[in-house]
Amino acid sequence: MKKLFILLFCAFSAQAAQMEVMGNVASKCVVTPDTAGVFGNPTSDVLSTDPTDGGVDPVVRFDVIQASSYKARISYPTAFSASPTLNDTVVWTGDVATSQVSDTSMSGYDAAKVEFDNVTEFSLTVAGSTWFKTESQADYGYGKAFPGGVYRAIVSAECIAI
Amino acid sequence: MPVLLAYCSYSYSSEEVYGTTINAANIGLNWVMSNILPQATGLTVNNVIYRYTTEKDPEADMLVHVQNENAQGNGYIFRSTDDWSGLPGNSINKTIPVGGIGIDFWGDGSIEVEGFGTVLDPEVYYTYQYVPCDNPQSDPECPGYIDPLTLIQEPEIDTSSEEYIQAELDRETNMKSQKEEEEKEARNKFAKATEEKVRDSLEKMLGLSIGAGLQEAQDTLLHNALVSTNYLPRGYFGQIKGGEYPDAEMLKDSDLPDNANGRRVNFAQDIMHQKIVQSQYD
Repeated sequence: MKKLFILLFCAFSAQAAQMEVMGNVASKCVVTPDTAGVFGNPTSDVLSTDPTDGGVDPVVRFDVIQASSYKARISYPTAFSASPTLNDTVVWTGDVATSQVSDTSMSGYDAAKVEFDNVTEFSLTVAGSTWFKTESQADYGYGKAFPGGVYRAIVSAECIAI
Repeated sequence: MPVLLAYCSYSYSSEEVYGTTINAANIGLNWVMSNILPQATGLTVNNVIYRYTTEKDPEADMLVHVQNENAQGNGYIFRSTDDWSGLPGNSINKTIPVGGIGIDFWGDGSIEVEGFGTVLDPEVYYTYQYVPCDNPQSDPECPGYIDPLTLIQEPEIDTSSEEYIQAELDRETNMKSQKEEEEKEARNKFAKATEEKVRDSLEKMLGLSIGAGLQEAQDTLLHNALVSTNYLPRGYFGQIKGGEYPDAEMLKDSDLPDNANGRRVNFAQDIMHQKIVQSQYD
């Protein structure tokens, strides 16, 4: 019996094998559009998502399962994705801020945010859900009226692993 | 078709109902759970969802408790505390699973603020589930429902039968005699009470009551004390001869003339009286 075992062992040790290792990584940061934005037209030359201007700020939600592993990068628009033909310049302004939080510690995100160009970055240091609202305003020409038609713009939101 | 009906009946009884309450904090920071949760037997609460906005100085300390009292004991059955100390105000949105706590445990709810700051636009929702026919009596549509009226329905009686008529007559007779007896008892009671009252008053009058007896004993003691001082006059101890004292006839009936002076006074009084009476009509 002992001999048989040794023989078998030898037989195995003489063979070569390749094993596949598989893994499935589920994202621990999920970005979900929460509220669709709407442009208000308070004056003929302005399109704004500000509720006081008759607009609706778009809201995006970031769900993070693991703290301090991701940052949220949100950009307000700098051009219309669809609009009537515009012959003059459009000046864009905007701001991104937390709208709701699922943990009080997330309340510090606004103070720690980094802004450059039209981009705002938030370090997601707390696990949970954070809602970010993006305010944007487009001013046409020098007090020039926007031509009639449908206007669309895109807010981009990304979750980037640190 | 009967198969389909049977299936519908079964599905009605076994299907769980899931729902979400209205905003419990829509009229203030305190709420009564019986006004919020449907009063269904076997209902369990699965999640508490709440949202509110804080307005505060970032440096200030502030704790916000969203809570429900334990209706079956002391303390809270649910309590979530948000610590806003040293943080700027913001809107918070939380969903907290509570793992199916029965409706009986959910006492009144509230949002309590500790420290400095204000809670604005509070919203509190409860998600729940229950089986509609967990208690068959909860709905007449439930299988196994028993109409309570059928349980207390009296058996039909043949009012024309001789037995029924005799029983009714007996009952009336009994009631009449019982009434008479009660009246007689009431009369006797009243008479007895009146007699006792009269006896008491007579005893008092005759000094036979307990109070009077005590007074008599005190008087005797006082009398003995006075006699022992030897200050009482001798006549005090003398015996008065008794006997009969007949009336002494003093005035014999005769013709008594009218008093002329008295007449004047009489007339004057009459005039004055008439004047006074007349004055109320003037």
